[in-house]
Amino acid sequence: MQYNQKIKKVNGLYLVLYIFVPMIPVAVTVLLSLLIPEQEGRFAGISALLGIAAFVWWMAGWKLVLNMKKKSMEKKLDTAGFVRNHTFNSDKSTIVIDAQHGDIALLFCFNPTAIQIASMQKITRAWVDDCAHGSGVMRGSSCVRFCFEIDGITVKVNTFTSNRRWRMDSNYILTGISKADMMVNEINRAKQAGQQAG
Amino acid sequence: MGLIKKLKSKILDKYCSKCQHEMNVTLQMLYALPDMRVGHYVRHEDADYYKKHLVAIQQKSQIPAGMYACSLYVYQCPSCGHRAVKLVVFLPVREEEKLEQGLYFENGEMDDFVFGAQNG
Repeated sequence: MQYNQKIKKVNGLYLVLYIFVPMIPVAVTVLLSLLIPEQEGRFAGISALLGIAAFVWWMAGWKLVLNMKKKSMEKKLDTAGFVRNHTFNSDKSTIVIDAQHGDIALLFCFNPTAIQIASMQKITRAWVDDCAHGSGVMRGSSCVRFCFEIDGITVKVNTFTSNRRWRMDSNYILTGISKADMMVNEINRAKQAGQQAG
Repeated sequence: MGLIKKLKSKILDKYCSKCQHEMNVTLQMLYALPDMRVGHYVRHEDADYYKKHLVAIQQKSQIPAGMYACSLYVYQCPSCGHRAVKLVVFLPVREEEKLEQGLYFENGEMDDFVFGAQNG
């Protein structure tokens, strides 16, 4: 766990390993198929299977790792005395608020090795972005999120995403806005509590 | 004519199920449902659940973001005096409302809550 260090959404080393490590077995089998021509067919088959596995890993591996880390995050926070007043799990991150101590814990999909804890005082502003565009009856959105600025970086947490556009009065959008409003209120409230306590 | 009235009373809440007359809304109240938060809504049909968890409020603006709310309507038939209570559970989202569930109690299930609260 990292306390009050500069927030990093992406761990460069993890990202490089995430992308290139699955390519190593594919490259090795391709190389072997070239070096051992009598086994060419077998190695070509294996490399094709490994290629498919690598593709699946690139598509879903980050979600798998994030879900595993989310579970261990709860235990680690509890052990560290972090009071989990409010937890929000989004598709790409997990945000946990400790209103009692005025702290926030962050876990990002491309930096899952570090649970980053920061004081809420570092948050300069928090707001809801409903990503609405269009006008009149065509006004709609495919994404709702809450955002906050911490250490000069903007963290965007999706409360609703879709591959199609929904009207602003649709149940999906309303639920997303409600969740985002709630989280922004929680952030502001915890920040105030932290100020009073500190 | 009688058949249409009976059908109306089956379909529309504001028609008396006993004599099929149009009922009057005699009381309208707004409650917060602090037990229910957005993303964690669970349907409840039991009147006891609502009696235990509803918290009376004056305005919708008093409900924090992400908390469910409930409108309560008391209907009374001017003809036969039959009473019914309708609950509408919704999620207030800024100026909009996301309707979640509607419940209709006409056997006095909510009477102690509504009239007890009024008398108290």
